[in-house]
Amino acid sequence: MTPADNHPADVRLKALFAQDEPPQRDAAFSAEVMEKVMRQRLREEVAMLSGVSVIGAGALWLVWPTLQQGLVAVSQGLAPAAGALALAGCATLIAGLWRPAPAPGLS
Amino acid sequence: MLQITPVNVDEALVAAAQGGSAEAFSRLVERHQQPLRAFLRRTCGDWAQADDLAQETFLAAWSRIGRLKAGASVRAWLCGIGYHKHLTALRSATRERARGQAYETDRDETLDAAPEDKIALERAMATLPADQRACVALCLAGEFSHAEAAEALDMPLGTVKSHVTRGRARLLQALGVSDDPC
Repeated sequence: MTPADNHPADVRLKALFAQDEPPQRDAAFSAEVMEKVMRQRLREEVAMLSGVSVIGAGALWLVWPTLQQGLVAVSQGLAPAAGALALAGCATLIAGLWRPAPAPGLS
Repeated sequence: MLQITPVNVDEALVAAAQGGSAEAFSRLVERHQQPLRAFLRRTCGDWAQADDLAQETFLAAWSRIGRLKAGASVRAWLCGIGYHKHLTALRSATRERARGQAYETDRDETLDAAPEDKIALERAMATLPADQRACVALCLAGEFSHAEAAEALDMPLGTVKSHVTRGRARLLQALGVSDDPC
């Protein structure tokens, strides 16, 4: 509050300014803002994941000659476990046990 | 679900948003959209552009929430970001032209239904320099103290006080209101 707030002229000014006051709660505006925020967040996450993927792919390409020999050596033993893990993952997705969280403000 | 007591609500919401909680940020948007949009409406004159700037302000705020110091005024911080976005828009020649046209259109529509005093006030606001208009919008139209406005607009306290005094005098003159308290 400013010191001159009780002055009749300031009371009149405030009353006139109050006519273009937005509503105290505006669900449509808030939802629009949060939609844009979530899109921005998604873009940032995709950019980060893309960067990590490129770095990972580069690292894999560098170590692949060495890694390949090791993988060939242990592949016989790992194959059943890898298959079981893949099946469990698919089953989880199909059963709908994993769902993304609802967007804030839209729940 | 986020559990926050009414005491220091903003501080708790900011802390949660700094930790990555979009839900907390959503609550901050709900709490502060009104003062921010009101400030930008009075500063821009064009309500549609003001709402666009308010959305841009919240997007920028989400990116910069980590820089907000504990205990700082959230509404002052948001209005500061909004004011700089408004100044950037003003400096853009293309936007300036579009804004002028939109302002005239918007104002003409408002003028039909508005009382004479409201028309005089809007016209007087439009003639104030941008920095003076921002000070008036925060201190006379909003509930900001001079110190809070100085923090929001990144201006010295004395400058804010003189802008408010001069702006107020021009608005009262335009309204034909006497400054005499009796």
